[in-house]
Amino acid sequence: MAPKAGNDRLYQVVFDLPGGARTIEIGGDEFILDAARRAGIKLPSLCERGWCCTCAVKVLSGTIDQSASLRYYEEDRRAGFALICTGRPRSDLSLRPGAVEEMRAHRDTSHLPVPRGTRAPHITSLPEQPS
Amino acid sequence: MSNGNKPHATGRVQAGDVSQRVGVEAIEARGVNVGELIEKLIDAAGAEFTTYYYYTILRMYLAGHEDYKEICEDARLEDRAHFELITPRIYELGGTLPYDIRAFADRAGCPDAYLPGAQNGRRPMSNPFDVVTNVTAAQILEVLLEAERCAIRTWSEICDLTFGKDPRTYDMAARILNEEVEHEAWFIELLSHERDDVVRPSGHFRRGTPGEGPYSKNAGFYNP
Repeated sequence: MAPKAGNDRLYQVVFDLPGGARTIEIGGDEFILDAARRAGIKLPSLCERGWCCTCAVKVLSGTIDQSASLRYYEEDRRAGFALICTGRPRSDLSLRPGAVEEMRAHRDTSHLPVPRGTRAPHITSLPEQPS
Repeated sequence: MSNGNKPHATGRVQAGDVSQRVGVEAIEARGVNVGELIEKLIDAAGAEFTTYYYYTILRMYLAGHEDYKEICEDARLEDRAHFELITPRIYELGGTLPYDIRAFADRAGCPDAYLPGAQNGRRPMSNPFDVVTNVTAAQILEVLLEAERCAIRTWSEICDLTFGKDPRTYDMAARILNEEVEHEAWFIELLSHERDDVVRPSGHFRRGTPGEGPYSKNAGFYNP
């Protein structure tokens, strides 16, 4: 179980998906991937500990707390990548999922470790639930 | 005999050509991206190898819990057996392990299973007697459980990549997956008991011998 971050604020998080944008509210104590799944957005992941980069997203805007990730570097943040399996919002966010291959290229350029077998599978989002 | 009479004697590999492999061509023809599969297998081999190393430490720190130690030992030895099982397949497919063990560990597909209290491996060791003293069995069992869960996701993905296309890799992956699923069930049972005082049976008994590996070593199942 992930330790609570002590932040009960709600943030608007926009996912830029192939079928269009989806916006959901995510609490500051929640991991972004968990919240997305609960909202019916299917996103890739593997280790779910902030290591393998399968869940990598490009951060189009906003700030994410990656303190729960086992392997996340300042260079990743500067290059605009996040690992949402262990990332908590610290502001409203706009994210583009499916960035594992881009993140691997960035890690290679930065001489940082990364698994080589992970790919971004087809990313889908379930239809909006009727309110 | 002409190829017309031997329908499987087709493809690009010429008689006597040792630069190509029919074993690779056959699975590529069925839709496997062999380069991607090799990368995935190396990541998975790295995870099994590093897990074997870290479980060696975790097992030592289950001090006073001899039952937990034995079960951790089974998982440790079976993960080593998985590494041994994966490695030949990487070479058969035309790949190779990284030449530097540091590069191998760095690209492991699952996280290092650090001992709790060891600051994710960064705890300074000023001397060889610098033993972590404040770690609990529940903390260790949580690490073991999450390591097995990552392995299950990894081997499920490799089963998906190879099902109906590459029976040799699929068979290997399914054998490893079987044992990883058992390991998860063990650690759910133990962590639930140790941390939450709740009974969640795994459905299994201990192995007959340490690290027996009934699936990955083709040993007999416990079925008296």
